[in-house]
Amino acid sequence: MSVLVLVEHTDGNIKKKSFEAVQYAAEIAKKTNTTATALVLGTIADSELENLGTYGVQKVLHVADKKLDELHARAYASALIAAAQKEGSKIIIALHDINGKAVAPRVAIKLKAGLVSGALSYPDLDKGFVLKKAVFSGKAFAFVNITSDVKVITLMANSFPLAPGSGKASIEKLDITFGDKDFGIKVKSVDKVTGEVSLADAELVVSGGRGMKGPENWGLIEDLAKELGAATACSRPVADAGWRPHHEHVGQTGGTIRPNLYIAVGISGAIQHLAGVNGSKVIVVINKDPEAPFFKAANYGVVGDAMEILPKLTEAVKKFKQHK
Amino acid sequence: MKKISLSVRNDNNYTSNMKILVCISQVPDTSTKIMLKDNDTAVNTQGTTYIINPYDEWYALIRALELKENGVATDVHLITVGKADTEPVIRKALALGGDEAVRIDADSVDPYQTANYIADYAKTVGYDLVLCGKESIDYNNGSVGVMIAELLDADYIGFATNIQVEGTTATVKREIEGGEETDLVNFPVVIACQKGVAEARIPNMRGIMAARTKPLNVVTPTASAAVTAILSYEMPPAKAGVKMVSPDNMDELVELLHSEAKVI
Amino acid sequence: MNDTEAVKAIKGGEFLIRETPAESVFIPEEWNEEQLMIAETCTNFLAQHVTPNLARIDEQEEGLMPHLMDEAGALGLLSISIPEEYGGFGKDFKTSMLVTEKLGAGHSFSVAFSAHTGIGTLPILYYGTDEQKAKYIPKLASGEWKGAYCLTEPSSGSDANSGKARAKLTDDGKHYILNGQKMWITNAGFADIFTVFAKIDNDENLSAFIVEKTFEGITLNPEEHKMGIKGSSTRQVFFNDCKVPVENLLSERQNGFKIAVNILNLGRIKLGGGTIGASKEVISTAINYANEREQFGRPISKYGAIRYKIAEQAIKTYASESAAYRASENMEEATAHLIETGMDPIKAKLKGTEQYAIEAAIIKVNASETLNYVVDEGVQIYGGMGYSAEAPMDRSYRDSRINRIFEGTNEINRMLTVDMMLKRAMKGELDLMGPAQKVAGELMSIPDFGGSEEETLFSKEKKYIAGFKKAVLMVAGSAVQKLMQQLGKEQEVLMNLADMLIELYVAESTQLRVEKLVGMRGEEACKEQLDIMRVYVNDAAEKIFKSGKEAINSFADGDERRMMMMGLKRFTKTEDFNTTQARRNIAAKLIEENKYCF
Repeated sequence: MSVLVLVEHTDGNIKKKSFEAVQYAAEIAKKTNTTATALVLGTIADSELENLGTYGVQKVLHVADKKLDELHARAYASALIAAAQKEGSKIIIALHDINGKAVAPRVAIKLKAGLVSGALSYPDLDKGFVLKKAVFSGKAFAFVNITSDVKVITLMANSFPLAPGSGKASIEKLDITFGDKDFGIKVKSVDKVTGEVSLADAELVVSGGRGMKGPENWGLIEDLAKELGAATACSRPVADAGWRPHHEHVGQTGGTIRPNLYIAVGISGAIQHLAGVNGSKVIVVINKDPEAPFFKAANYGVVGDAMEILPKLTEAVKKFKQHK
Repeated sequence: MKKISLSVRNDNNYTSNMKILVCISQVPDTSTKIMLKDNDTAVNTQGTTYIINPYDEWYALIRALELKENGVATDVHLITVGKADTEPVIRKALALGGDEAVRIDADSVDPYQTANYIADYAKTVGYDLVLCGKESIDYNNGSVGVMIAELLDADYIGFATNIQVEGTTATVKREIEGGEETDLVNFPVVIACQKGVAEARIPNMRGIMAARTKPLNVVTPTASAAVTAILSYEMPPAKAGVKMVSPDNMDELVELLHSEAKVI
Repeated sequence: MNDTEAVKAIKGGEFLIRETPAESVFIPEEWNEEQLMIAETCTNFLAQHVTPNLARIDEQEEGLMPHLMDEAGALGLLSISIPEEYGGFGKDFKTSMLVTEKLGAGHSFSVAFSAHTGIGTLPILYYGTDEQKAKYIPKLASGEWKGAYCLTEPSSGSDANSGKARAKLTDDGKHYILNGQKMWITNAGFADIFTVFAKIDNDENLSAFIVEKTFEGITLNPEEHKMGIKGSSTRQVFFNDCKVPVENLLSERQNGFKIAVNILNLGRIKLGGGTIGASKEVISTAINYANEREQFGRPISKYGAIRYKIAEQAIKTYASESAAYRASENMEEATAHLIETGMDPIKAKLKGTEQYAIEAAIIKVNASETLNYVVDEGVQIYGGMGYSAEAPMDRSYRDSRINRIFEGTNEINRMLTVDMMLKRAMKGELDLMGPAQKVAGELMSIPDFGGSEEETLFSKEKKYIAGFKKAVLMVAGSAVQKLMQQLGKEQEVLMNLADMLIELYVAESTQLRVEKLVGMRGEEACKEQLDIMRVYVNDAAEKIFKSGKEAINSFADGDERRMMMMGLKRFTKTEDFNTTQARRNIAAKLIEENKYCF
């Protein structure tokens, strides 16, 4: 009857967000008076699997088939279903990411289970099995009740902080016989992209204004952008002065963007500029003028000299990514 | 359930007429301010303007139309699960193109149920390719397409950025973490589309006028139970003022951006 | 509409002497699904192709404007009302007004579009022979060929028939040799077809010719440097012994002026549509700005002085729009009825439109002046940035100004309004005499203070509007009587009368629209519209009084003046109410919606 959670890894390294999913499953297991079991697919060392115990699972089922090293959604679903049957699982958890989204709904259909995609909370058992998720592209939240016997959840990453304990999990190997249909999709090629991010699509943007003093200083912006995997943008005076290409100009008479994160460096925040970026989810303003209007529209602000702050921020991001 | 024609298939080759089913869902316009009513158990839809889910319209539908225009597909059908109030949006889709539309007369409240309705209908016709948007901008689930694939015993590719078809195989580029993968898949397949698959179009006069005359068939679905239900809603907390961070503490800023703002 | 209904239908100009039932007017809130889809295509077209390129368009980037026309053509927007037999969509007039309105927010593009689809195409469509239509219309409809219209000359603007361009038949009778200089020709830089007006030999009146760019003897001056609509191609066109085949004479010899006048009737009301579309866009932009710009710690949209402007912009726009679509539908119904009686469709269209030429002139003046207010206050709302060439208001302000000048200046249109009214009265088409005498009689008798009628939601405004009509009839009747033939020379009086007529027509149109709307949606859902109506009618009363007073004092004195002033006061008396609060209500809704939302 255990809670079953699908764990993802990259080349044998368990993803940070999978630890979150495991922790989440373990917590639900506690709430429902049962145990938690992790399912790991593909090539991965036992020593790595042992780490899962610290996030609360009692058992790890490992299907070592190397065909599973890359996503094959039907195979993954078959594996989850087989594991669920073996464990008598009524609650099955995956991540709300590209892989989880391709797998969980199949499991839901096969097991005639209700699915909540992108859960942000633990289930409220008083009201049934109610989970909170974001709707209307983040404009509101919904509380969704799963009424079926079996319940499938995809967890939105970054919803709960990681709090590893000291538990240990037993590791059990599981053999699954797959059908041809499980591997129906052939991977022709994989392209890991490291090039520039297009401004219109970018989730993260670093933007510079006249406070950057001149085009020769833009390397600092570009360094931060590169570290973040962000696109670069600029304010109108900068584009007009020819410091940056026109397509980078965001503002009332330039482009309108809606990234998750907009870091504005040395931009005063005139309303015309804001018009191009106020749809951003989070705005960070770095400016040496504490009266700069942009601070009113910002979520986070740093008062100081951009030339000093940018390298420090780039370094902090680098550090953060290394530890992820 | 009304039965349309069943295409003739045998095990190894598909029919020479390639049929595409495009799943269209109606969503509130992106500028809509969400307001709750009835003790927060429902969304106030008064005065809401509805549009075709952008991912369905700009990518799935347009690609289907391109495939027909290029002579690859012979039929493009549109399907929506919704009550009569969804018909204007269906006609907007028909104004862009498509041979006919089907409306499954039911509220779309649960992905499991919606997928069953669509799959039940699709089985009566037999489609080689089912296209949908990567997710709908109202409930952001992105699960109906996968469920349809499972019900049709078909493959599914999500986050597609490019679709090419040759014979009974599709070459699909899809987004993966940190890059892009190119897959080969045989029909039948369900593909969820996003930016890159096609370019949005503006309906032209000819299309708008044709929309009136294209068939929009209403089908009563066979009963299928919902397995989830939205009990209530909640509005996000009001935006707080700016949080100042010392320039000497960029680690703190990064941490805030990660754990509080959740943007990195 | 059957014959008895048609007889009952309000004729052009009759708004002055009859009551219009609210159910009979068309209101924009009634657009059907297909029309809304068409409107959306127009808006999407601007958003995708025009708005992002406004600077490039204003710089007249080579080939850009014709390219945009091609894109519009590909969407079918250039042939909305062209008959299907010529490759068009044969849509009704209101739909083509709607398209003009939605594209009206397109700055220079809007002018190029309107010139091409209106004056650039319609002369041939309405006056061409079957051969001429078959040759030119399909390509104009698709946009393959672009059209322009050459009437104005350096020394003949308002006085169009004074043009010096001349055409002379060749000895072999095969060509007209055209000589002349035309000025302010829109689309000249890329047009393929010109409709050119010139007098043949010593004719008194103009004739019209279809001239192809490729005929020899056509040269263009460089682009004019204009205050606004800089992206619109405006050039002088020189015809130097230009050889025009005789088959290209459009309609009969000396029929040119009539063609021009008839096309202008349509052009005027269409201009109304376009300026209304531009107004709505400017208002939304201004509201957006006001909601964002903070001073003294708050968005400026919270301040009363700004709210007043936003409300007034919306009130004027809503009112102009009410008039424009009321008249569009009237034109359409009149045309349909004439077709039913067996008239040729094109003749019916011209006659149906002509029927409402007075209303068309009114709308041209009113809507262009509404836009004037909207852009002026739009700049003001933007404050310093309103003066900046980097912000949108500058372009809107400069682009708007031409609307009070072309398609007949607003002064000419005012005078035509009165002139046409009086001419129709003289011809017996419009009975002004009877009603005017009735009003004169009323002046003599004791005023009827009776209020035994049941008070409805609209009874006050209906009463006021009925009063306005009496005011106009009284002043006009007296002016005609006093001044007789001299009235034509008393332009100030004509202007006063025109202003009274305009306010009356627009106020009544607004009242009828809101009445119909309440019938459709219920009072609760129309609170702001009711406020708009009440404020507009209230303000109209003041304007009608002011114009009437000026007129009366210019041609009457002694007892007569006293009596008319008493009558004027009575006929324009309205009950006090808190217009400031009403404006606040209207502004609140606009600010909440963050755009023009009526």
